[in-house]
Amino acid sequence: MTDPILIVGGGPAGLGAAQALSAIGRKSILVEKEAELGGAPIISGYAKLVPSGEWAKDAIGGMVQRVAGSDLVDVRLGARVTEFAGTPGSFNATLSSGEQCQVSSAILATGFTHFDSINKPEWGFGTHPDVVTTVQVEQMMSSGKGVYCPSDGRVPDRVAILLCVGSRDRQIGREWCSKICCTVSANIAMEIRELLPDCSVYIYYMDIRTYGQYETEYYWRSQEEFRVKYIKSRVAEVTSDGNRLLIKGEDTLVKRPIAIPFDLVVHAIGMDPNLENATIAETFGVDLQKEGNIAQQFSYGGIGLTSRAGVYVAGAAVGPETIDDSIAQGQAAAMAALGMDGGMVAPSAAAE
Amino acid sequence: MPIHEKSLIRPEDLTEHEQLEIDGVDVSGHWSTFIETRVVSDYNERMEEEIAALPGGEYIHRCFQCSSCTNVCTVNDLNPDFNPRYWIYLARMGFEKELLRDKDLLWQCVSCHKCTHVCPRDVAPEGVMKAMATWAELKGHTEVKPAAAFDAEFTEQIVATGKIEEGRIIRGFFKRTGQPLNQPWLREMSLRLARRLPILMGLKMALAAVFRPRTRDWDKSRAAITEYIAEREDANRRALNLD
Repeated sequence: MTDPILIVGGGPAGLGAAQALSAIGRKSILVEKEAELGGAPIISGYAKLVPSGEWAKDAIGGMVQRVAGSDLVDVRLGARVTEFAGTPGSFNATLSSGEQCQVSSAILATGFTHFDSINKPEWGFGTHPDVVTTVQVEQMMSSGKGVYCPSDGRVPDRVAILLCVGSRDRQIGREWCSKICCTVSANIAMEIRELLPDCSVYIYYMDIRTYGQYETEYYWRSQEEFRVKYIKSRVAEVTSDGNRLLIKGEDTLVKRPIAIPFDLVVHAIGMDPNLENATIAETFGVDLQKEGNIAQQFSYGGIGLTSRAGVYVAGAAVGPETIDDSIAQGQAAAMAALGMDGGMVAPSAAAE
Repeated sequence: MPIHEKSLIRPEDLTEHEQLEIDGVDVSGHWSTFIETRVVSDYNERMEEEIAALPGGEYIHRCFQCSSCTNVCTVNDLNPDFNPRYWIYLARMGFEKELLRDKDLLWQCVSCHKCTHVCPRDVAPEGVMKAMATWAELKGHTEVKPAAAFDAEFTEQIVATGKIEEGRIIRGFFKRTGQPLNQPWLREMSLRLARRLPILMGLKMALAAVFRPRTRDWDKSRAAITEYIAEREDANRRALNLD
């Protein structure tokens, strides 16, 4: 078993796996479809990360440098895996360049796709230029331009963040909670208040899921220190009065209809399964779960096992996941790929 | 009747012109009925800050609407419209008009502190109620309540002498509120007091009423108290952007 281990995807989970493998002296091949490593935090230009507050380009950028600088990690940018055959310990992967690689196992760290807000037209994205997504606000902040209204570049007096855009919505076939958006929104709200102390920020929510330790650090700190307002309402529509945006809906705690003017409306977009999951599943011969993520075999004992022996999975490829947990799962998958999978056996392997 | 289910509309949201003619058509009375919109069209963004700046309101921003305060509330038990949880939400989000609908209820808090005792977020709702009533009064939304006349008389006596004398307070309170001194219950109370009070105690009270004794070295304390009251009142007015 001296063949390298194949890692598909150069985001937090893939970097975590590559880092772990090179730390114990094992070779890996890291295949990334984009022209650079880093995944969503780098390619989508995230700003300050939860929970440490470090800039994505420092935190994840640092991982990228360590991995790219390691002699044990063979990085292939702008590449995909087109064929994958063989048995555990001796797989043959064909890359889009035509290159053949002998690998002992594979880790799928193929991530997710950001929800496209155009699928919720009633909330004005694509119609009004000042309706943006959390990713766009992250980009505004990480680019150093600060938060502004795209229509005319003015600094907003009042910002609304709408939660659960593309999550928990049977209308558009997305029943899951995307797990990160509440905390990310509270984080963004605090950053806006810090950058623009005269700008008020309102968060429109159904439930707040700033789980675990985020309760104090994000949900309450945003209210106690930064005076962010939380309104319990799933708004009906975002329109414009010609000047500013108008949020229409019901304040459910007051039982009154509202039509409140805003300068900037931010969609807290959810995490969809990777658009390419069907192709990935076919190439690697692994099952997807009903929502289109890569199916994990066990919740306990063995982490990161797919339906095919020798193929492991980590990070947001299995469903909405945080950056830090994705990295941890990448490391766990690395251990599983080294044979330390707790004695759990994937069903296909059991059948052989 | 042009509007059905009129009873569901708040009376203050209905307007009618007794005499009105539009383009030669007589639309007097219910023919000109107009319903004000129910839609809340803006938040008062300063409201939470203003109430938080008044004594007692400091922790309003901690509330997570669990309603423990309303559930234990002494006054809510008697009047379901008295709902501290709801008012805290209105104040935090800046629903000023909604809160003012209840301006004549806000001050009815009896300060039993049960809410403060149960509140899991340490909001101290009793203090918030006090701050809200003060806010409504300073903003001119409510008139000064009779209870305030009592407080004023009480405070003045303390400031003057460092002591209070009950008879004087009652007389001062009656004078401020325009009530006659000769009231049956007061007469009855005085008679019974005179009959049952130990002689020495009665003498002491009579002396105190005539000579108005003062706390020894009161001047220093009075200066400090007066200064504090002025500071506090000034801070309250500044917090509300008054003057």
